Amino acid sequence: MARVSNNEMPPKGSPAPDLGAREEFLDWVETTWQSQACAADLRPPPSLIRRLNRDEYAATVIDLFDLQLDFSEEFPVDGPGGEGFDNAVETLFLSPLHSEKYVEIAKRVLNAASKEYKSRVKIFGPELDPDISEEQAAEKILRAFLPKAFRRPVDDETVASYVALFRVAREEGQDFKPAIFFTLRSVLVSPQFLFHVEAGEDEPELRQYELASRFSYFLWGSMPDEFLLDVAAAGKMDDPKVLRKLVPRMLRNDRSLEFADRFVKQWLRTRELEGAHGPDPELFPEYATNEELHSDILLQPVFFFQYVLRENKLLLNFLDSDHTILTGALAKHFGLVPAEKTSKNPEWMRLPTGSNRGGLLTMPAVLAVSSHSYRTSPVLRGAWILDSILGTPPPPPPPDVPELDDKQEGETPKSIRELLAQHSANAACASCHERIDPLGFALENYDAVGRWRNEYHGAAIDAASELLDGTRIEGPRGLKKALMDRNELFIRNLTKRMLGYAVGRGLTPADACAVETIVDRVEEADFEAWALVREIVLSAPFQEPSAEAQR
Amino acid sequence: MNLIRTKPMSRRTLLRGAGAAIGLPWLEAMTPVIGRAATPKSPMRMAALYMPNGAFPLTWTPECPGRDYELTPSLEPLADLKSEVAVLSNLWNEQSKDGDGHYVKEAAILTSTRIKKTQGADIRNGISVDQVAAKSVAHLTPLPSLELGITPVAVGNDAVVGYTRVYGSHISWSSPTTPLARELNPKAVYERLFRAANGSGADEAKLDSLLLDRVLGDAKQLRRKVGNEDQVRLDEYLSVMRSLEERLARASDPGRDSWEPRVPIDAEMPPTDRPSGHLEHVRLMLDMIALGFQTDTTRVSTFMFGNAVSNVSFRFLDEVDAGHHDVSHHANKDDKLSQYKIINRWHVEQYAYLLRRLASMREGESTVLDNSMILFASALADGQKHDPHKLPILLGGRGGGRIDTGQHLVYSKDHQLSNLYVSMLDAFGAPVERFADSTGPLAGLLHT
Repeated sequence: MARVSNNEMPPKGSPAPDLGAREEFLDWVETTWQSQACAADLRPPPSLIRRLNRDEYAATVIDLFDLQLDFSEEFPVDGPGGEGFDNAVETLFLSPLHSEKYVEIAKRVLNAASKEYKSRVKIFGPELDPDISEEQAAEKILRAFLPKAFRRPVDDETVASYVALFRVAREEGQDFKPAIFFTLRSVLVSPQFLFHVEAGEDEPELRQYELASRFSYFLWGSMPDEFLLDVAAAGKMDDPKVLRKLVPRMLRNDRSLEFADRFVKQWLRTRELEGAHGPDPELFPEYATNEELHSDILLQPVFFFQYVLRENKLLLNFLDSDHTILTGALAKHFGLVPAEKTSKNPEWMRLPTGSNRGGLLTMPAVLAVSSHSYRTSPVLRGAWILDSILGTPPPPPPPDVPELDDKQEGETPKSIRELLAQHSANAACASCHERIDPLGFALENYDAVGRWRNEYHGAAIDAASELLDGTRIEGPRGLKKALMDRNELFIRNLTKRMLGYAVGRGLTPADACAVETIVDRVEEADFEAWALVREIVLSAPFQEPSAEAQR
Repeated sequence: MNLIRTKPMSRRTLLRGAGAAIGLPWLEAMTPVIGRAATPKSPMRMAALYMPNGAFPLTWTPECPGRDYELTPSLEPLADLKSEVAVLSNLWNEQSKDGDGHYVKEAAILTSTRIKKTQGADIRNGISVDQVAAKSVAHLTPLPSLELGITPVAVGNDAVVGYTRVYGSHISWSSPTTPLARELNPKAVYERLFRAANGSGADEAKLDSLLLDRVLGDAKQLRRKVGNEDQVRLDEYLSVMRSLEERLARASDPGRDSWEPRVPIDAEMPPTDRPSGHLEHVRLMLDMIALGFQTDTTRVSTFMFGNAVSNVSFRFLDEVDAGHHDVSHHANKDDKLSQYKIINRWHVEQYAYLLRRLASMREGESTVLDNSMILFASALADGQKHDPHKLPILLGGRGGGRIDTGQHLVYSKDHQLSNLYVSMLDAFGAPVERFADSTGPLAGLLHT
């Protein structure tokens, strides 16, 4: 099926169906699949042991020791897998480089913790009991610390093995506290810390803790707090009534910003703007030199997403909204007056009537990441919408396609629309570009850093176009209306992405039934944001018994 | 066919080879070096520099084969190094001919293997040539190999072509399912080399070894409890941790005779961790390769100038106003084509920079470059065509006297790139009968 959608099947040279027939076929396969998946009660694949990615590692270390130091930059960037996120089990590899870093960073973490009062209290408690032996004290410390670090109850044997390590360190001449710090160092390198460990068949009580962790890493990006561990201890982590209450609690906590930041920047791909792929500093100096604006642009979709989830707004706000997140710098960028009235802090604000700034699509971060570094591209923007918003990425271009003929020597540059007219002149290009380009044209009034413009190279912007089904759209408002009319596609795409992020793996056909169930229930709940998160944590892929239990 | 002779170092190679071995009675050189007193034989090094987006053939490939060929505009930066470089023409990577324009090519440049099309679930490639070499000498240096790059792994999956971007960001593969993470920060690389070369003192080393014992114990215990697929993950953990344990044990062995830095690393001189631009960043990373080789902290390294489809802006160069990938689709139009050529040449300049650095590092009668093989490769010929034929390939350094440099070797059409890897592994001292789809060694490259 993937090969059909990628134009690889049927093979070259065989009679091939046109795009319409191809899509009808794909649609049929997908629908049949879903109904079959539900009817056959296909089980989602077992979840596999996966390591913390670098953001999870850093956040967990910070929580564990109450440290303010961020070590995430020390580790190699984790590659994307699954539904496009860097927390996917498939692509969390281990290199020799990781092993060195784990040992080295653990050293630095404990070194920093030994100098920080709050960290020492986390480790040793308020004061050491003078009436017990050193070894008893060490055991007490480890008995309290290990379950937090491993995010689950720890048996006596494990505690004893770390007490033994403490003892050897003392024998090696370490003083009491350094020996404790050393023992904790090894805790940070243990696979029980570095991996999300799944509960075994013979440990059903541990499944509760597995769920608490999954829940916490999903919505907070870090280890569960004591409250969640208490819920797990009470055996309530799979109780729908409890989960319904836990979802708002988690989302209203400031820590949900961590989820928003990681999820949104990867879903919308705006994380790329943090690296070398941003707008060209020479052409867009105000973007490059104004650090406040740059940072506000990157954070706008993140705060917007967090606000919608925290306040249980409608998910359709992502497509179009009469509110947005503003800061002084953003208001100025948008030409909203008076910009001075806006605070430096991001605020959820009502947009003026007739504003062209509601929803994700009109945010500068999105408009920039879907542009070339030096100019806009309706093709990139159209493909971005098809992929990131609708979840229907276009098939790849055929091999050997030259870039469009930009300009001849001595000619004035062509308008982008003139350039792209070459697509429709060529049947091989037209079949896909008729789908891609019109979506992008509707956003031509925004430049490569998302500022509004009425002309390009002296010619007025023409933001009117016609979608494949004949719908005429004009400008961002027309585009957003067209997307609102197709909101089921968007909701399904968002569901798939968020479910893939939540379970840390790519979805399979066996997940199709769960996806449809979630989409249906979100629609029944009139697209309230909490409904999506709630249905994800209640779904079979999230709640599934572990690998062992299924065998 | 074409079995490679698995010969030990022959007397002839030693005599031919530049290096400390020259002038020694051959028996002495063939005897393992004991203690620190004897002049150690120069180690053999291998590096691969990967350039994204191809090169324009007409300004890359020299017209005539042989030793008297004329350097093309793209290769001109090698003028003073012509005798140290072999230009290899008409090699291709057959396994990268289908799939898509980039990922299948980049990921396979050092593996000559057809990668599995996936968004991540079942990543599969081959083992890369640098890692075959690294495994053969891993026990001899503090670091088995050094993987370096400039740009982090790209964000998200490429849903359009259907390959995870992990493929386009990794050329070194220690196994078909394990791409090796790269270090991007020059200062972090420096500190890593320093730590590895100097060890951490006997007390710290003892503690590290206790720590690793403990966590390996945890891993084994965990492994007993989990299913098959999870065992694979824990095996990966066990393998990298055990290899670290071995390396630390070797580094801290008080009676260690087997290794010491050939040149001390100066802790006071780390490079910046915030290079001012692409040029400085690239230079610093190449410096790290040179430092790793000179000190013998590692003997194998790979470096990626950019990831697949890299669109790094080259506006810092005169007469370039766009990104790398953009101009690689030049449509034979003068404007973009001239920029493409400038960028091609810039990459060769950086390659020449590394070769000169290595040539300036003397070891005995020879130089580090004399005892190295530095590959320069792109996975496409003309970026315009996503063409895996006639790849731009250069091999610099005499490989301890084994490589017959100073010539332009032109092979018959569609000659396997993997044959080059067979010859390089032979010269490296890690001969193989076959590498991926190889059909034999690369004729004319090695002195016989």
